[in-house]
Amino acid sequence: MAEDKKELEKKDVKRRDLEPVDEEKKQYIVVKIGDEQYGLDISYVDNIGRMQKITRVPKVQYHYIGIINLRGEIVPVMSIRRKMGLGDDVITNKSRIIILKMEEQGLVGVLVDEVREVIDLGESEIDRNVKASRKSDALFINGIGKNGNELVSIFEVTAILDDVSAS
Amino acid sequence: MDVSQYLDIFIDESNEHIQALSDNIMILEKEPDNKDTINEIFRAAHSLKGMAGTMGFKKMQHLTHDMENVFSEVRNDTVKVNSSLIDILFDCLDAIEAYVDTVKQTSNEGEEDNAALIQRLNDFLEGGGQVSSAPAAAPAEEAAPAAAPAEGDGSATYTSLTLDEEDLGKLKHAAEGGSILYGFSVHINKDCLLKAARAFLVFKAVEDFGEILFYSPSAQDVEDEKFDFTFSFIMSTTSEIEPIQQAVAAVSEIETIECGKVTPETYQQKTEAEAAPVEEAPAAAPAKAEEAPAAAPAKVEKPAAKAEKPAAANNKKNANKPVTARTVRVDIEKLDALMNQVSELIIAKNSLVSISSSDSGTGDYDRQSFQEQIEYLERITTTLHESVMKVRMVPIENTVNKFPRMIRDLSRKLKKPMELVMTGEETELDRTVVDQIGDPLQHLLRNSADHGIEDPEKRAKSGKPENGTIFLNAFQEGNNVIIQVGDDGGGIDTERVKAKAVERGLVSEEDAENLTQKEIIDFLFMPSFSMAKKVTDISGRGVGLDVVKSNIEALGGDVEVKSTLGQGSTFTIRLPLTLAIIQALMVEVRNEKYAIALASIMNIENIPVSDIKYVQAKEVIYLRGLVIPLIHLDDVLDCEPMEEKPEYLTVVIVKKGDNYAGLVVDNLIGQQEIVIKSLGKVIDNNKMISGATILGDGEVALILDANAMF
Repeated sequence: MAEDKKELEKKDVKRRDLEPVDEEKKQYIVVKIGDEQYGLDISYVDNIGRMQKITRVPKVQYHYIGIINLRGEIVPVMSIRRKMGLGDDVITNKSRIIILKMEEQGLVGVLVDEVREVIDLGESEIDRNVKASRKSDALFINGIGKNGNELVSIFEVTAILDDVSAS
Repeated sequence: MDVSQYLDIFIDESNEHIQALSDNIMILEKEPDNKDTINEIFRAAHSLKGMAGTMGFKKMQHLTHDMENVFSEVRNDTVKVNSSLIDILFDCLDAIEAYVDTVKQTSNEGEEDNAALIQRLNDFLEGGGQVSSAPAAAPAEEAAPAAAPAEGDGSATYTSLTLDEEDLGKLKHAAEGGSILYGFSVHINKDCLLKAARAFLVFKAVEDFGEILFYSPSAQDVEDEKFDFTFSFIMSTTSEIEPIQQAVAAVSEIETIECGKVTPETYQQKTEAEAAPVEEAPAAAPAKAEEAPAAAPAKVEKPAAKAEKPAAANNKKNANKPVTARTVRVDIEKLDALMNQVSELIIAKNSLVSISSSDSGTGDYDRQSFQEQIEYLERITTTLHESVMKVRMVPIENTVNKFPRMIRDLSRKLKKPMELVMTGEETELDRTVVDQIGDPLQHLLRNSADHGIEDPEKRAKSGKPENGTIFLNAFQEGNNVIIQVGDDGGGIDTERVKAKAVERGLVSEEDAENLTQKEIIDFLFMPSFSMAKKVTDISGRGVGLDVVKSNIEALGGDVEVKSTLGQGSTFTIRLPLTLAIIQALMVEVRNEKYAIALASIMNIENIPVSDIKYVQAKEVIYLRGLVIPLIHLDDVLDCEPMEEKPEYLTVVIVKKGDNYAGLVVDNLIGQQEIVIKSLGKVIDNNKMISGATILGDGEVALILDANAMF
């Protein structure tokens, strides 16, 4: 099933490539991780929370930092840096936890360095022909969006939560 | 009539009746002459039939009706109970269960009409000899009366009705309009609980053919159940009488129908009323309605209008989609207790409010009464918690009751005589646990039946009774519920398991020699490790004990095996009584907080480092005659190492079965009631952490599973 779904999604992505230009725009949350900007499809985002105490859980996957209390719910928090093989997170007062709401996995928190803005991107503004220079990008990035002068790598959100790690 | 609102009740009650049938048929097999059991069976089958009829599940009703026929023959001693009958009956039960399942999923009984089963039932009846009636073969008119109809309970029949002027006028008008008038008297079965509903269904069926002109008792009285077991009506129609009669007879729990042509004059000259109609309609001589059409509806062509109606009703129900929810039946006393405690809670709240408002702006509360109220509140919440937990508790009975039947089937299939002995079915467990414990238990029982119990010859040779015994014992022990499943069969041949493990490369030959019996048995719990020489459809595919184990561990329990070669084996399942809230000891390891379930803690010791001894290079302490291995939690939990070694260690001693372990912690925080929350699906749950909890200050603490430390 999971396999099928992935196949479908891939096809979906391809189909979108071929679609004409006048499609509706999608909203993306632009976050900063390290020096780069990334876009997260807002439809997956449940909410954005400030940094709070993360309880470490021993002996779990390397990219899970721990769990937090989100209004009485236990929500696991992952480090996207660790997942992409970019090393450990640096916690500043700009750090945020983006809570993603996934159909399969439920709520999952993702730690990012900074949340910048919400942008509208049409399919025409996203270059799907990404030549990944890094292994992590190939796994998790499905396009480059143009936001004015800046470039935003668009995350394939479902891939982030799959249990494959670049490191 | 929209019956979808009764669907839940129907499903619940059907399951109860099916279970009752299953239990009693099992008894019947052992004691074929037990009249009480037969009556019990008869009642259950009858209720099932009635319920299915009310809900409009014709196929189910049909099948149960034929079963009921068989039971009635058994009750009348015209048919003897033998194992082939029991087999057929069990197959029927399975079929009924399948109907109920389909109903549960689709709110429709489905398409399967189980004609083959019904045929078998009827064949049995015919083959059974002395039975005078062969219901399936007989078309409506020829059906011989098998059950004595309860006739004439003194109520007026249609021929002796008294009509007033106005009604007579109506009849006359209808007769002049060219319609034929029929009179009907319907006798409802005396066991019937919903007389009005039956009458309603009868009227409904009749109204497909024509118009009812007169009711006796009045339509309102019938609706209010203000009648005995007979009601009459006069209708005008253009149709023949037979289809109407059949339609009426198709309503369940109708004992007999009397009907015939009437004329307005009939009632004008009431004195002669008796003879005329019966003569005019000889075909409609009071047929034993219950017997005839219901027994062979497949052969009786139903009027089109009738066939369409249930279909339409079904469509409507589908649109509603009443998906049945998971429910718990709760003893009303439990709910009352809950209600009481909630009222107390409100009182406690009010007291607190009044204390706070009595503060005259100085912030100077009456500390003592404040404290008292807090204590009161605490007491209430504790009892409230207990009550809610009790509401969630259901006896394991519902789950284990199907097992005797299963073992019986297996016994016949495997040709090994065996019996299941169960105790402690009333033991209560959390509903979620009870729901999920069924499969593992079933698996263990199948294992016992297939691998445990030997062939009768072999048993005789080793001096055991030929009848194998499989047992299932459930009881409560402290905060756990123990379920033991075992047999008096051959036991686990550890040498063979060992050889298999070596063959599979799971352990080297030298190492295998040093394995304890327990370690060898543990191999059986590994995925795709099967000891069966041949794969049967009962077991031996190697997906088994590992699934049992993981299922039970998912419920927070564990499995232990004790086995003696030649004497049988026992699987002991230990399950937590409740899942959601536990008493726990909060401990600190470095700056992290962990909770350990109080139920698994033996005691807490302060041990000087110098008391630590070494056995096989492992740290142990020797305490009151017990050698207890030490587990440094900071090690197993990957904490930062401590800078300086302390002189004393705080050791929490935990127990699992007969094993002990000492958990070394940095600090004790105290006892606390905690709510267990899952870590979610994405975190690769290591066995040591069984969940998390949220502390009073909002912080998250992990719950250590002491059982996983061993």
